[in-house]
Amino acid sequence: MFELRHIDKVYNPGTVHETCLFRDFSLRIQTHSFVSVVGSNGSGKTSLLNILCGSIPVDGGTILMDGRDITQMREFRRYARIGRVYQNPAMGTCGSMTILENLSMADNKGKRYGLTAGTNRRRMEDYRAMLAPLGLGLEDKLGVQVAALSGGQRQTLALLMATMTPLDFLILDEHTAALDPKTAEIVMLLTDRIVREKKLTTLMVTHNLRHAVAYGDRIIMMHEGHVVLDKAGEEKKQLQVEDLLGLFNSISIECGN
Amino acid sequence: MKKLFSMILSLALVLALCPTAMADTLHIGISQFAVHGSLDNCVQGFKEGLAEEGFVEGENIVFDLQNANADTGIAAQIADRFVNGHYDLICAVATPVAMSCFNAAQDREIPVIYTAVSDPVAAQLANADGSNPGEVTGTSDALPVEAQLKLIRALQPDATRIGILHTTSETNSDSSLATYQALAPEYGFTIVDKGISTGADIPLALEALLPQVDCTTNLTDNTVVQSLPLVLEMSAEAGKPVYGSEIEQVRLGCVASEGIEYLELGRQTGRMAARVLKGEAKASEIPFEIISNSYLYINEEALAQYGLSVPEALVSRAISVTMDE
Amino acid sequence: MLLSILEQGLIYGILALGLLITYRILDFPDLTVDSSFPLGAAVSAVLTLAGMPPVLTLLCAILSGALAGLITGLIHVKCHVRDLLSGIITMTGLYSVNLNIAGKANVPLFSGDTLFKNAFTKSLPDFLRPYSTLLIILLIALCAKLALDWFLSTKAGFLLRAVGDNPAVVTTLAQDQGRVKILGLMIANALVALAGAVMAQQQRFFEISMGTGAMVIGLASVIIGTNLFHRFSFLRSTTMALIGSILYKACVALALQIGLDASFMKLVTAVLFLIILVSSQFTRKKVHIRV
Repeated sequence: MFELRHIDKVYNPGTVHETCLFRDFSLRIQTHSFVSVVGSNGSGKTSLLNILCGSIPVDGGTILMDGRDITQMREFRRYARIGRVYQNPAMGTCGSMTILENLSMADNKGKRYGLTAGTNRRRMEDYRAMLAPLGLGLEDKLGVQVAALSGGQRQTLALLMATMTPLDFLILDEHTAALDPKTAEIVMLLTDRIVREKKLTTLMVTHNLRHAVAYGDRIIMMHEGHVVLDKAGEEKKQLQVEDLLGLFNSISIECGN
Repeated sequence: MKKLFSMILSLALVLALCPTAMADTLHIGISQFAVHGSLDNCVQGFKEGLAEEGFVEGENIVFDLQNANADTGIAAQIADRFVNGHYDLICAVATPVAMSCFNAAQDREIPVIYTAVSDPVAAQLANADGSNPGEVTGTSDALPVEAQLKLIRALQPDATRIGILHTTSETNSDSSLATYQALAPEYGFTIVDKGISTGADIPLALEALLPQVDCTTNLTDNTVVQSLPLVLEMSAEAGKPVYGSEIEQVRLGCVASEGIEYLELGRQTGRMAARVLKGEAKASEIPFEIISNSYLYINEEALAQYGLSVPEALVSRAISVTMDE
Repeated sequence: MLLSILEQGLIYGILALGLLITYRILDFPDLTVDSSFPLGAAVSAVLTLAGMPPVLTLLCAILSGALAGLITGLIHVKCHVRDLLSGIITMTGLYSVNLNIAGKANVPLFSGDTLFKNAFTKSLPDFLRPYSTLLIILLIALCAKLALDWFLSTKAGFLLRAVGDNPAVVTTLAQDQGRVKILGLMIANALVALAGAVMAQQQRFFEISMGTGAMVIGLASVIIGTNLFHRFSFLRSTTMALIGSILYKACVALALQIGLDASFMKLVTAVLFLIILVSSQFTRKKVHIRV
């Protein structure tokens, strides 16, 4: 379970560009829930993820992970239990390394990165078996540099790498936004399958309202640092894309754009 | 672009592999450490010294003059080039290149004659007993410290403390300073030294040094000598005369100097090389030489500025130089 | 002449291996190099004079270089100083350290045994003796290259490659990217110091100014090597760096051969460097389009 309590976050404090994003913001995400977060640009969606992961510090409040205070914990330590996929496919993989090397590196998460061989021949069959069902042909390209792959192939690889090892939380930061519609569907289906199989507590920021409605068991809409809509369970199942779009538009009109 | 570049590189490799053409004339490699007035004079003197002995450039001797530009990596390559070209003799000007050349030539029976090495023993180019460690010998440009101390005593009979500014990274300065410190008490002086690491340290170091001393004297310290105009200006304000170590420094405004003539040092080195080339002696059999005569240069304008005068005893050998401009 | 180019090229090739890590893998403009090169030389020279077997002095030089890299890394990672500045700070400070380790600006090693002149090399048969120096340098350079190749194929090596490529990946793998960077800087400067130590043993003296321009030479070597040979995919980048360094030294030998005016030497180096850099940007752009 993730919990944000009374979070304050101010950007550029003490300057003319000072903007207060969160003032006394609180949110609780239940274990094993799959939460979609939607909202306009600047509504605080990505900042929310960055605060959870420790990529940016907070100015006040507490962050709890399964009841434990992690507000002061450094970013890389939090990832011991969190997997994260970014919007940019290049962010989740190393372009200058091969698919095999990327997978081997991710496969070792949670263990020591010592002086033993970086790749393990015996695991190669497992990797092939993991890649083959995707239908992207990656299983025959283990020795190819990731930089030579398409955006969709890279993002699929990034998703697999983020979820290869046992973990509890998955953070998805508009991870299908940079992909073409067909690839986006493939990646979204794979995401849903992994989340179910591994019973991950998932937070997915998306601009795709259809994905937000179709996947997950809770939906949150954010606007200017506040939660303006929060539906879970049955209520969420009733929700249609049109409803969301209506609310979205009314918010935008209020803001005058 | 790439292709052109590859071609240049391959050409470089091929050309670098070509052995130097050999003829009946003698081939002398001269490795000079850096571009520097005194070192240039050494090289010119070296050629003159050889010419006096009948080895005339373009007639029966060819010089391959290389400058290492103060880069020890290049110095090593120059030395290897001379050795691999089977040159008849190598002349090395200044300590670092002397060491590179000796290292490269040691087992190859090519004599190395060095010059402008302040302390051949400290550089292990000569043994402590004055003998040579191999086919290597040459001339030392050790400062005539004793003469300089006598000069200061004669010009400033009441002075007790001499200031010396030196760069901690210059080997020549280290050994000259040590000589000053060893000899100063004999003449009733105490040496006050201030070490600097770059030219930028000079103003602060001088400011601290000048109030403690009666005069300052220069070593052949490159960093300090390059900033000599600044040193002279600050010293003039403090009313403390500056003694030089070379004629050029007196020309710039130092009151006087007991200095060596690098042209003559070069000639002496050239004559030494001629003996080796003629087969009169092997390099290993000729002990290294410290230049014996020093010349007294005075700058009368600067002397007058400090109210100093040259005693009768020295006037006869004083060579007056005037400020540039 | 070839012998000398190979000897010098391989010594500076070890330096280039270090720069391969900082420049190519970590993308860190590390100026520490200009001081860690003479640092290794000073350590090796002083310990040799103190009677330590030359081979052991190389190990000490490696350790000293790693320490220099550690300092630059800590300044950069822990004090949040920009990469270029942290290198400059360490480089400046090390100058004094080098001078104090050596005791003076120039330490000759002519009197005693060195790595290249000792009972063993003298006992070699006549036909081998002219090549003994090259063979020893080759052995050291190959050991350094193979050790680096091996390290880059381990799990720790993977992280090092990843941190230069994409630090975010290292963080999401729950690893501290700062520590990985520091490790990279340590290995790089250890190699540079090793090169300095071998140089001191070969030329048989330490000279405080011997590091001046070391980074430029190493960088040029890496860029020459990796740009000219990037099509030969069977060559590892470490091999390319070694060859690049030999080619660089061949260029210097050529400049000496054609009797280039000394006052133009540095300018020619700069122009050569610019040509390589511009042509490398050219090829990098092409690679980008292919992606």
